[in-house]
Amino acid sequence: MKHVLYKLYVIAFMFLTIGFIIVIWNVTFHHIIEEYEQRKALKEVTDIKEKRKREAEKTKFERIILESDERVKHYLGYRVIEEQRIEGHFHHIGFDIGPDNRSYCIKCHGDMPHDHVKELRAFLNMHAFFIACQTCHVKLEGSSPRVYKWYDRKTGELVPSPVLRNNAGSYNAKIIQIDINKMGEEQRVDSQDRIDFVKELKDREKELTEAQKSKAKKMIHEIVTKQPYICEDCHQKESPLLPLLELGYPRDRIDSILSTEVVGMIKKYTEFYMPRMLHPGEQVKEQERKQEGRM
Amino acid sequence: MKLLYVNEEIFNISIHQKVKCEGCHADIKKIPHDPVNKVDCLIECHIIEPSSEQKFSHKDVDTYVKKSVHASVDKYGMPKKYQEDMPTCKNCHDEPLYRPLSFFKQVRPGISDTALGRCRVCHKKEEFILRFYNHVTTRLHRTRNPINIAEVCARCHDDPLLVERHGLSTRAVFSYRETFHGKAAGYFNEKVPDCLDCHVNTGESVHQMMNHTDPVSITYKENRYKACANVECHPGASPQFASYKVHAEFNLEQSPVQYYFTLFFIILTGGTLLPLMVIIFLDLIRRLFPDAVIRRRR
Repeated sequence: MKHVLYKLYVIAFMFLTIGFIIVIWNVTFHHIIEEYEQRKALKEVTDIKEKRKREAEKTKFERIILESDERVKHYLGYRVIEEQRIEGHFHHIGFDIGPDNRSYCIKCHGDMPHDHVKELRAFLNMHAFFIACQTCHVKLEGSSPRVYKWYDRKTGELVPSPVLRNNAGSYNAKIIQIDINKMGEEQRVDSQDRIDFVKELKDREKELTEAQKSKAKKMIHEIVTKQPYICEDCHQKESPLLPLLELGYPRDRIDSILSTEVVGMIKKYTEFYMPRMLHPGEQVKEQERKQEGRM
Repeated sequence: MKLLYVNEEIFNISIHQKVKCEGCHADIKKIPHDPVNKVDCLIECHIIEPSSEQKFSHKDVDTYVKKSVHASVDKYGMPKKYQEDMPTCKNCHDEPLYRPLSFFKQVRPGISDTALGRCRVCHKKEEFILRFYNHVTTRLHRTRNPINIAEVCARCHDDPLLVERHGLSTRAVFSYRETFHGKAAGYFNEKVPDCLDCHVNTGESVHQMMNHTDPVSITYKENRYKACANVECHPGASPQFASYKVHAEFNLEQSPVQYYFTLFFIILTGGTLLPLMVIIFLDLIRRLFPDAVIRRRR
């Protein structure tokens, strides 16, 4: 027994020695090598930086925003806020904006497809950040009650409601409507078949004739309705389209979303009108007022 | 194309929390708005500065910056060479965030519930209490962590192109990180000096940073020791104390003395300790296998 313990002691000592060797190597010779490599890389970095700068001037939203790899941590003492750093962006984002890897619509239409109606495009594109295209642009027949779920923008998998865990709108997930087939089974509107079809179309687009392309586009858009759901379909108290409670929204947030203020804001566009929900801090104050009212 | 997202939760812990959108984006009068000018930080916003009861503005900051080393014009009002490199507000500042302190037991930062309880004795509005607690306690220490300060400075002062263009002698933040102060800052020590502590005269605005050739600058050769001798750092530090090259890079061209000195000690340390560790390791192998023999084939 004593012999075994001694052997274990020696082995432990050996590991300790290896640890010391690594540490000493890192702070001495490795440090010199690292310095040398770093200086060599500096020239390359400078060239890459210049190249990126040139590219950024002509690049798309996705490349400068969604794939921005510069990160920053704000050490506030009692908490750390980590976020992407977007040059020239004064306000904090507070979360990572990942590309939507699941949506096949954005492959052609882009992340911010709404550009026709100047008055509405900012609001519609804002909603497109957390609502899948199909939720408004596909009206499924016979699917009653309608089923809506969240999917993760990065993995595409259905996920539990992220609403309570995140700030409003910054869910990195989207609401998608789910089709219920005749057998009563749930089927995703953005099915793998449709994703594969679009991918193949994009890959082979150059070799297709105009007629073939047109046919393919018709097939992709066969479920798309000409009359999409509009703002009032959700922002109303009577029978809102989205089951917000089931989607995990808290009661006070639902009240805010369904308030007439939102629709009123859209209709009263001609004059400047900042709705209370867009005034920073108003929600906190609202809660305080409610609490004071209860006391 | 711009990202217009504002995180409300973070905005509400920022210094501008009371300023409404149109306070800074002043020329937006309707939705959808016409093409707008960039936000001008020098405009008077709707906040009233309580001591003067005047509308608040950052004009004084601009006055300081215009006299500083970071001004885009020289002292004669002529544009400096590469004036486009000179920082504007947004180059150094994103939305400043509150860093409240909890003094009660001095064991943690953040907001002290005990202190809030005392505030509530006299003040009734919760929003007022929180805002002023944040505002005052944030002002009583660093508004940013030394690492965050260094990162901001590094965006320009570690940019090799900019360093070369302006004939700067060093990559300032890179060399700072090589020092004891920089290493300690890397371990989130907030008591160590960051760039601003040594480059701004004590008690002055950080926007009054002067060139090291200016006799009033804290980095002027004869004044440097005063930064070290600050009562909170090394009281009694002499000019000799501050005579060493603070921003020496491990670089033969820039600082040959420091380079060879450092190289000597690196080789001495590595050259003695590494063989020693290898010998100890070999000795341990012998202790593990005391009877092992490597036999030669006959």
